[in-house]
Amino acid sequence: MTAERILVVDDEPQIQRFLRPALGAAGYEVVEAMTGTQALKTAATAAPDVIILDLGLPDMDGKDVVASLRAWSKVPIIILSARDRESEKIAALDLGADDYIEKPFGIGELTARIRAALRHRIQMEGVQAQLSADGLAIDMVKRVVTRDGEVLRLTPKEYDLLVMLARHAGRVVTHRSLLTSVWGVAHGEDLHYLRVFIGQLRGKVERDPADPKIIRTEPGVGYRFVGDDD
Amino acid sequence: MPENDRDHTRRPDPDALLALAEQGGRGKLTVFLGAAPGVGKTYAMLMRARRLREDGVDIVIGLVETHGRAETAGLLEGLEVLPRREVVHSGRTLCEFDLDAALARRPRVIVVDELAHTNLGEARHPKRYQDIEELVDAGIDVWTALNIQHLESLSDVVTQIAGVPVRERIPDTVLNRADDVLLVDLPPAELIERLKEGKVYVPESAKRAIDRFFRLGNLTALRELALRRTADRVDDQMVDYLRQNAIEGPWPAAERLLVCIGPDPLSEKVVRTSSRLASGLNADWIVVSVERADHEAGNREAMRQLDDTFRLAELLGAETRRIVGSDFVEEILKLARREHVTQIVIGATRHRFPLRLFRRSLPDALTARTSGIGIHLVTDRDEPAARPAGRQKPALPQRFWRALAIAAGTTGLATVLGLLIERFIVLQNISLLYLLAVLASAVYAGYAGAVAAALFSVLAYNFSFIDPVGTFTVAEPHEVFALFVFLAAAALAGGLASRVREQAKAAAGRAAATQALYDFSRKLSGTARVEDVLWAAVSQIQSTLRRNAVLLLPEDGDIALGAAWPPDTELGVSDMMAARWTFEKKEAAGNDTGTLPNSPFQFRPLVTPHGVAGVCGFVQQDKPLEANEERALAAILDQTAIAVDRARLSRESLKQAAQLEGDKFRGALLSSLSHDLRTPLATITGAVTSLRQLGDRMPAESRDDLLESIEEESERLTRFVANLLDMTRIEAGTVNAKHDWVDIADVIRSAVERARKYFPGREFETSVAADLPLMRGDSVLLGQVLFNLLDNANRFGGDEPVGIYARREKDEIVLSVTDLGKGIAPADLEHVFDKFFRKGKPDGGSLGTGLGLSIAKGLVEAMGGQIKAESPAIRRRGTRISMRFPAADTNLSGKERE
Repeated sequence: MTAERILVVDDEPQIQRFLRPALGAAGYEVVEAMTGTQALKTAATAAPDVIILDLGLPDMDGKDVVASLRAWSKVPIIILSARDRESEKIAALDLGADDYIEKPFGIGELTARIRAALRHRIQMEGVQAQLSADGLAIDMVKRVVTRDGEVLRLTPKEYDLLVMLARHAGRVVTHRSLLTSVWGVAHGEDLHYLRVFIGQLRGKVERDPADPKIIRTEPGVGYRFVGDDD
Repeated sequence: MPENDRDHTRRPDPDALLALAEQGGRGKLTVFLGAAPGVGKTYAMLMRARRLREDGVDIVIGLVETHGRAETAGLLEGLEVLPRREVVHSGRTLCEFDLDAALARRPRVIVVDELAHTNLGEARHPKRYQDIEELVDAGIDVWTALNIQHLESLSDVVTQIAGVPVRERIPDTVLNRADDVLLVDLPPAELIERLKEGKVYVPESAKRAIDRFFRLGNLTALRELALRRTADRVDDQMVDYLRQNAIEGPWPAAERLLVCIGPDPLSEKVVRTSSRLASGLNADWIVVSVERADHEAGNREAMRQLDDTFRLAELLGAETRRIVGSDFVEEILKLARREHVTQIVIGATRHRFPLRLFRRSLPDALTARTSGIGIHLVTDRDEPAARPAGRQKPALPQRFWRALAIAAGTTGLATVLGLLIERFIVLQNISLLYLLAVLASAVYAGYAGAVAAALFSVLAYNFSFIDPVGTFTVAEPHEVFALFVFLAAAALAGGLASRVREQAKAAAGRAAATQALYDFSRKLSGTARVEDVLWAAVSQIQSTLRRNAVLLLPEDGDIALGAAWPPDTELGVSDMMAARWTFEKKEAAGNDTGTLPNSPFQFRPLVTPHGVAGVCGFVQQDKPLEANEERALAAILDQTAIAVDRARLSRESLKQAAQLEGDKFRGALLSSLSHDLRTPLATITGAVTSLRQLGDRMPAESRDDLLESIEEESERLTRFVANLLDMTRIEAGTVNAKHDWVDIADVIRSAVERARKYFPGREFETSVAADLPLMRGDSVLLGQVLFNLLDNANRFGGDEPVGIYARREKDEIVLSVTDLGKGIAPADLEHVFDKFFRKGKPDGGSLGTGLGLSIAKGLVEAMGGQIKAESPAIRRRGTRISMRFPAADTNLSGKERE
């Protein structure tokens, strides 16, 4: 199998300078872009498997790059952002970016995100019916959730929520996309629903609801399902 | 009125209770009323004061005139007496009551003698009763003394009785508002006895007048006035008591008086009479004048008299109305019905002869159309002496002579023309020419001109055309008749023409005033800045009223001059005090008001729905405004107040916008700062984690490159932190620049060397003048400045070499760094030395920290130099940053140099 190709979009030469050898050593092929326009062009011509995108670009807004890409491509996009740019990050995720990572980051964290994104891409091609995480097993065909072999009784909403998270296993899912997919478009802002149901769900699926291992909170952004593969 | 209703629940009248409650925060005013000087008011006051003192009440003597009487002075023993204020008045030093000292002392009760006194010198109020009102308002009880003759409404009666004009007068409202009136009474015979014994103080100068005054008849009449007045008060108090306690009493239905006045001398008497009538009836009274819309531009003297009469009416406690209308009787009746008037008071002026023929007198017209309303007539007494001085008709005005000249001219012209025509054709009605002359005179010279022209015409016609020609005799009787008919026709036509002219003039005047106001409001609506509004307002007041004006606006809790005409006007201490009074109390102050009348300005508040927006002052100089000027001023002030308010609001919203802008800027600053710190950190973290986790899978050169990038980024971070520290030091003012001898060529050399190491591939060209003197400064700091500039030039300099020049210009050393990059936009040029200023997006690309130039500026200035930026530098490209330092001559002689 040929190496997956990763497009790194960042205008800081020093970031490119360390990402190129590091990702190369991790077994990926790296293509680079310094501007938004260049990024769109390279995405179209080089057919990357994953795009790593810095939101602060000199020529255009990173969010616009996400929107333009999503118009024709489903390639996973990982956002590089600063911690103080919360709203930009969420907006980019809502526009269709798959995940984000905050600067400064360790290379291990980045490669884990890349792996999750790539796995998701493969899942999109063939439907994955079963998933396990920390003793929890989800059978999406039979619609059965078991914990250490014991069947859990979930309400329909709890089940939908769990499946929504599990389908994006390893990646962040924003509050808005959880709310709109489970409750409907009209409830996009009803964060309290989510807080209540996530609490209930954790009570059923987690070993220790006070220290959740499966459904992780991404403060201010959303939740992340951590499966056994992640 | 509700008190007429027989209320079965017998609740107290709410209005009466309200009036009682309103007195809550005020002090009590007690007036010791006497019929004449010497009855013992001061004595009575002091006796009571002593008794109160013995009961332990906090009572002080604000001011008591003992007039050197030992008996009275003795009573002052043991009482606290406030010190008096010394004032200089016409060269003499006098002692006056010190209002501020009394307010500061704040006793329970204060005794202030002589209520009717007029303050001398620079006092806050012209009259003592106003001082006393302020004390009462401040919650202090006041005892004071008053002789009945000083009451405004009685002054004409007293003048009649005693034959002496009363100069010091107080409004009746002061006595009416007093909480207690104590009558100090002494039989007249006894008083005269005391006078003879010398027990009554009489100033030497007034001896003769006093002798006339202290006659048994006079004193008895005054005593009656005082007694009656007090009795009326007691009656009022009883009625008040009955109302407050809901006792059904047989009090009469409330009377309301409507007093009609006009611009004539009789009106003053009508007002005074009505005042007495009203207080006798315990009635409210309204003073009204009906002005014809077309007559207001008419006689100025009359209008001023009307204004004066209105002021008097207000002083006596009347409500005043000015109505504009054409039908006098109808307007008066309308008002009477609306206000439930029960009695009407009018002056019966004897009309001049022609008017009496054509017009029914006002009283007749009123009686014909009213029912159930009593009508009082006040007649004129031919008493020229009673007329206030200065009201005599002014000498024949210039206008009159002008009218006469026009009349003579037109008549002459008509005669010449008539004689000429007669020579060629026989004209039956040559008199028509004279009618033309009369009409022309009427149009150009008004009514007087018309009548004069008619008279001249009759004479000229008679002389030139009626047989016997050349004499004033008339041969034919029918010609005499024709002459009279002509005279009457001419007078009527002339009257009409002159009235049309007056109306046209008045209309033009009103149109001009309206136009001016309209222009003003347009000018205001076009200005948003407060200064422009103020300036427009003062110039408008100047042009409309022809008076100099000032406008003051609130500033930091006080008020300050905002605009003035003429612009260099300065306000004195008393002007400012009056202005402040106006601002705080929302009422007029200064000249011709009750407060601080010594100021040449009168101040008016600019009232808006949000409170007082400011204060307008205009030069009054004892010339009160006329009614139409007053209206114009009110309109201007209203407009100004609204405009000032609007300007203030828009300024506040601008300030908010600026603050928002500032917040945005700080946000951008923070994000750029965090970007600058985070990028090197991200590189270092990323490189380190890559090396640890994936290092063994990398080729050796990649590992070296990562290590190198770690080193470079650490350096970058170090530089940034150092820059931040430098900036902090500069801002804190703790840069200690040394004052050593510095060889600039040396500094340039080492800075360029360092730059070459940092920016390989960049060319630097240096050109240092050979005769460059030394300078005083800090070589390390200067080196840093130069390096910052070179760093900047490297960043923005494109591919061209960077030039460093140093040369001498007179007493200065000029040191510059020039690049040939794109240059700086003119708009940005003035910001390049601002902290965190940089071109491009805040977190975009490899731009600098935005600190280099501002640090350079801080350091250069710390060394006593100057720095500036120019762009374009050469051939429409590039940027030059140049520094100037004073040259320091070493004064080494040629010998020492060797």
